[in-house]
Amino acid sequence: MEKVIDLTPVARPKTAQPWSKKSPKFLISAAAASIIPAAITLAFVGLAGMDFMAALIIVFLPIQVIAAALVGISIYGRRGILESLLVVATIFFSSFVFVLLGSVLWSVISNGAAAISPSFIFQNNYYIQPTTDLGYGGVGHAIVGSLLIVGLSTIITVPLGLATAVYLTETQGKSKGIIRTLLQAMAGLPSVVSGLFIYAMFIASGITTYAGWTGSLALIPLMLPTVARVTEESLRLVPAELRNGALALGAPAWRAFAQVTLPAAKSGIMTAVLLGVARVIGETAPLVLTTFAADRTNLNVFSGQMGSLPTYLFGYIAFGFDASIKRAWGAALVILIIVAILFISARLASRTRTKARK
Amino acid sequence: MNADSTKVERRKLASKPFAKSDRIFFGVARVAAYSSFVIIALILIYLVGRSLPALQKQGLINFTFGSTWNSAATPETFQLGPMLWGSILISIIGVVIAVPLAISIAYFIEFMAPKAIAKAVTTIVDLLAAIPSIVLGLWGAFVFSPIAAGWAKMLNHSLGWIPIFSNPEQNFLRSPFIAGIVVAVMIVPIIASITREIFSQMDRDIINASLALGGNRESTFRKVILPTASGGVIGGVLLGLGRALGETVAVLYVLNISFNINWTDILQARGGSVASMIISKFGEANPSEVSALMAAGLVLFVFTLIINSIASYIVAKAQPWRK
Repeated sequence: MEKVIDLTPVARPKTAQPWSKKSPKFLISAAAASIIPAAITLAFVGLAGMDFMAALIIVFLPIQVIAAALVGISIYGRRGILESLLVVATIFFSSFVFVLLGSVLWSVISNGAAAISPSFIFQNNYYIQPTTDLGYGGVGHAIVGSLLIVGLSTIITVPLGLATAVYLTETQGKSKGIIRTLLQAMAGLPSVVSGLFIYAMFIASGITTYAGWTGSLALIPLMLPTVARVTEESLRLVPAELRNGALALGAPAWRAFAQVTLPAAKSGIMTAVLLGVARVIGETAPLVLTTFAADRTNLNVFSGQMGSLPTYLFGYIAFGFDASIKRAWGAALVILIIVAILFISARLASRTRTKARK
Repeated sequence: MNADSTKVERRKLASKPFAKSDRIFFGVARVAAYSSFVIIALILIYLVGRSLPALQKQGLINFTFGSTWNSAATPETFQLGPMLWGSILISIIGVVIAVPLAISIAYFIEFMAPKAIAKAVTTIVDLLAAIPSIVLGLWGAFVFSPIAAGWAKMLNHSLGWIPIFSNPEQNFLRSPFIAGIVVAVMIVPIIASITREIFSQMDRDIINASLALGGNRESTFRKVILPTASGGVIGGVLLGLGRALGETVAVLYVLNISFNINWTDILQARGGSVASMIISKFGEANPSEVSALMAAGLVLFVFTLIINSIASYIVAKAQPWRK
């Protein structure tokens, strides 16, 4: 028997990582290298009145790179240059993404807040012209439509996704690999193609005219991969002992699943549903092709055109008047709020899961 | 074989479902699993069926690579070339911009940030992934386009002598460059989350070994982390590319769709995108044009299907510990 050396972190004292110690010299010079360039740049912008973008590129970046390189040289010698470049590049690129995200959120929230009012949320769009001022009309019909359309596709997709995940985790099926690849491929399906598909299947062939349920069908291929994959992950997290214990006690597989595995994975499945809904609530292209838009509240998902938040937004951006753009921002904020609620609930659901398992 | 016949084979411990209820249970699961196969097949069948008239009239090669789209001409001509190239161009710009951003964020989360910050950043990246594309399109059209046009102007003024940055008309709005950046914003979270997952599943011991041997962060990143994670990163990039190709509404608002083909002049205000072209032409299309749009959707579908299949194969290969 070969002798095994125990390399687990418990057996390895903290002092065995000399590279992670930081000397005071390093800390001071790193702090100086991160503060001084920013200060010089701010001075250029503030005192010399330089354009911020230009200052960022012409002043800040070179100084920052040089400062970081100097620190690198003083700590590691010449090879420290590349190290400091890596650190600068990583932090610069990461903050660039945050600035972009911050810009998106801020512009939607600030512009949208100006448009939102009780009447905007509860009234529908009947008799409203693109130039009507914001005191009248709103997205009430679109919120109802979105909820109905997405609700119907949730009712169809969740059992389908759950059963697919069951196939991928609980059975000995031979085609798991193919199914997983297909789900991945479906996850990358362009949303417009999904809309074209349902249009070709039901509307172009004359089976129905534009209606809410065709939109629901068009959302299924977009929602299914998310639901199936996240559910699969959460079923996989259920310890095999639980499942095998149930089977060993004589339960048939379906009972072991329904009474042991499913309750254990409940919050994970909730997360899957919420993420799936969040994925499709803002999908525009398939709805434009299959439900069209409507100005009146339509409560019947099975007949008649139906407004929804994304198609409302799509229409009002296209009008291009000031008032219509304001309405578009308002609708965007409503979508974003719905997405945020779904997203936060998904987080909470998955948090209770990890807590319960500890 | 005969010599070993006395040796007893190890019995396989997998049992077949015998109860009727179990057979139903597994049957339902199998049917559901095959439904994804059925959906993909149905999409192909219906798109092919609807697009046949256009493809027959135009010819597949002419349709895909020709460069005229005119429903008023006799005979009507529908050719997809500029849109297809435009989609590819925008996706390339998007990927080129998104990859360094995404890898930086993944590296920051996994190897640089303290745990609490890393967790917050992960949430923020996931949030970015959840923003609907039409909201990004609205932001792109009214907030970001003017800013990006300023960047494009700077590029043009400082590097205008390079052919791809030339722009004689000095109109910097609605160019493939801006559409590419908007697409990059959409695919950064996709690439970042896959890269982060690969990074997080890496064997910490080889990283520590590299550091213990005197490597610094940079050489460890370049010579240990990147080569080990390259498969997953490439797969993530391809998935992002697939998403970029299919992006519809966000691109529609920040791009001037033009059938006057734009090969590499990324700052000029004309470009193409198959998906956006479909949605913009669909409203006023006559039946034969609808058929051509279906064919465009078919081409897009086949294209993204191929890229995504390759991508998911690579990602699966890069994570051999996942069965």
